[in-house]
Amino acid sequence: MDKVDQFESVFRSATKELFHYGILPIRTVLIVTDLCGSPAERFAAKVRALMATVRNGDECSFVTIDGERFTSAKDLLDLVEAQRPDLIASYRCLHSEAWRWAFTLGAHIDVLTQSTTTPVLLMPHPDDSGEAAGSESTVKTDRVMAVTDHLTGDEHLVNAALAFTEPSGTLFLTHVEDDATFERYLGVVGRIPEIDTEFARELIETQLLKEPHDYIRSVSAALRLANVACTIEELVSMGSHVKEYKALVEANQVDLLVLNTKDEDQSAMHGLAYPLAVELRDTPLLML
Amino acid sequence: MLATILSLIPGDAAGAANHTPPAGVTYLFCGLLVGLILCLAFEERLHAKKSIIAGLFAVVCLLLGAAFHILPFQDVLIGAIPISLPEGLLPSDWSPAHHIYGGEHAVHMPVYIPAVDWGVIAIILGSSLFVDVTSRSGLFTWIAIRLTKLSGGDPRKLLWFYGLMTVVFSAVLNNVTAMIIVGSLSAVSLGKLKRSNLLLAFLLTEGLLTNIGGLLTLISSVPNIIVGQAAGISFVRFFIVASPFVLVTTLLTLWMAVRVFKIPRLSGVPERLEAEELVASFDENDGIDSVGFFWFGAAMLALFIAVIATTSVLPWVSSLGMGYVALSFALIMLLRYRSSADRFYQTVDWDLLGFFGALFVVIYVMEHAQVLHLIGQGVGLLLGLGPNGSTASLLVSAAGFSSVTDNIPLAAMLANILKAQAAQAPELISSGHWWAVIFGANLGGNLTPIGSASTLVAVTVMHKHKLPLSFIGFVAKALPYATLHLFIAVLYVLFVVPFLA
Repeated sequence: MDKVDQFESVFRSATKELFHYGILPIRTVLIVTDLCGSPAERFAAKVRALMATVRNGDECSFVTIDGERFTSAKDLLDLVEAQRPDLIASYRCLHSEAWRWAFTLGAHIDVLTQSTTTPVLLMPHPDDSGEAAGSESTVKTDRVMAVTDHLTGDEHLVNAALAFTEPSGTLFLTHVEDDATFERYLGVVGRIPEIDTEFARELIETQLLKEPHDYIRSVSAALRLANVACTIEELVSMGSHVKEYKALVEANQVDLLVLNTKDEDQSAMHGLAYPLAVELRDTPLLML
Repeated sequence: MLATILSLIPGDAAGAANHTPPAGVTYLFCGLLVGLILCLAFEERLHAKKSIIAGLFAVVCLLLGAAFHILPFQDVLIGAIPISLPEGLLPSDWSPAHHIYGGEHAVHMPVYIPAVDWGVIAIILGSSLFVDVTSRSGLFTWIAIRLTKLSGGDPRKLLWFYGLMTVVFSAVLNNVTAMIIVGSLSAVSLGKLKRSNLLLAFLLTEGLLTNIGGLLTLISSVPNIIVGQAAGISFVRFFIVASPFVLVTTLLTLWMAVRVFKIPRLSGVPERLEAEELVASFDENDGIDSVGFFWFGAAMLALFIAVIATTSVLPWVSSLGMGYVALSFALIMLLRYRSSADRFYQTVDWDLLGFFGALFVVIYVMEHAQVLHLIGQGVGLLLGLGPNGSTASLLVSAAGFSSVTDNIPLAAMLANILKAQAAQAPELISSGHWWAVIFGANLGGNLTPIGSASTLVAVTVMHKHKLPLSFIGFVAKALPYATLHLFIAVLYVLFVVPFLA
């Protein structure tokens, strides 16, 4: 019954994931630094300046944990557990010199992002005085980009990105469909005589890109309905994840990148998040 | 068996057609017809498509028909027109009932070509292409999704809306396409509403309603087309006669289904809000690639129905017939996809068309083997029961036969028999008999899952969604409805049809 399947597909395609606008509650921000004294204060001030641009950010309370209060990841986790913050703000490679090389996030951040459900705001690494490189970009969230390889239905990601986008700002909703995986499957399709390879390529590619496109339309509609001021820009394409995202971040002069780090299938960080977090060292990241 | 057949074959196989074959030959072809009907009834078990089964029987029938000299191999006369001759030139055996033709030219044609009713084939091919291309405009899915949203996700409202949509789609498109559209929508929407437990009830009800909706117009089902063409019933007359019955039985069926399957209503505001949100996620515009083509499709569908309805009275078009109309509309719609029209040709149900072609050939041979005459004698016994008794028994027996085998051969056979009876003894055949065949052939499909193509589609969707329903299970669930439908149909044909027809 090919036709039954044909019409079921038509109706399934007409069923869209709808976006529901929700406010991300951020009441307590825990600032974690390995600096001490005034450099730690300067870093904390930078975080507070950034949070001031966030929707309802002026209602946040801030707690700072400086470098003297922890050394191991276990110490830090205990402190986080005690505070139960809504957001942790920190930077790469705490208590380590490894931040100079773009290969790792450091043990503390690795553990924090995976063992707690609290979002982590990853700032560019500050110098010894507490000032960050590219300091201008760390105090505004005018151009925010949500990054994922599966945008459709990801309300948490979009609402978090919205919360960090200034009301007059632009939120880039992106979805890059991995070229390599697509080509791998198309390679298999190309060996099946019953399937027209070019037809399959055209249809599958169109459908893969249509779903995030529809979802972004539903985000815009929901924001209009909720009277939320924000410009939504759609960036949906095929490509190589890390390469494409680095190009998009550069091309759009993004102030903040929002991305998921949890992966249901593994305890390590999500496959797309880790390389981006390691390589995009000058752009603040909100890691969910 | 082979020896028996060979002993019946006359010496000169290439001799002229003999139209009164020996009784043994007639019984042999009778056996072949029973074999065909049985094979079609067990089509699923045989794992063979209808076209293959009927095609094989057609091949064997033609070969035996040639061997027994029962087929007319003469040239076919084309373009013959009735002519008037002065009284003195008329043949001695001439009577006003016989026309004299002239102006024709003889064409050599394989015997199986004029055997096929190409008008019926053209209607089926044209309308299926037209419906397929029109469905690409997103029109039918738009209607289906709008109704789903209108229900607010309430299961009971959904059943009523889907039921009415099934009937209308069956009438306007055909019952198989209607079942495919509404059945697949039911599966998706009930899944979305987390009400998949109601899918069996929905599919069964929709399956039954396709056969009721299939009665609404002349082009809604193949038996309607075959019998309607044979009886000379126009589209409008068909609709006038059938629509009151369709309306009453549709409402009764839906009312019964709600009670029998205990289809609930939404209770409480939270449940209603949740359901509303779930159906709101359907986007009726998703399937519309071009708004212009959508409206063109809607306009063409309305025009198609209007032209089909008035074919018999439209100048020039009436001579060309409904097949011409269906093919023309299909061609106009295909202009939108002129560079990729071959994709639509691939989606045509060639199995169905091949089946019809082969079936017409088998029936043609049966006619020449006097098998139809023999069955006609059986039908004559029914006709001997008096006007009411014959009509009621014809309806019930047609329903009984079509419940276990395909209703198309039944309709084709009975149409030929009634036509022959009407020519021989017009006083014996009333309009009620034709309508008895139409109602019986359609409604018989509701008795078993193999009774009609659309109920078979309903069962296929059930199995696709892992809903267990055996043959007996289907009969047990459908019997109360089918009995009610047949009871109303008998009363309707006996007491209402004479006034409307």
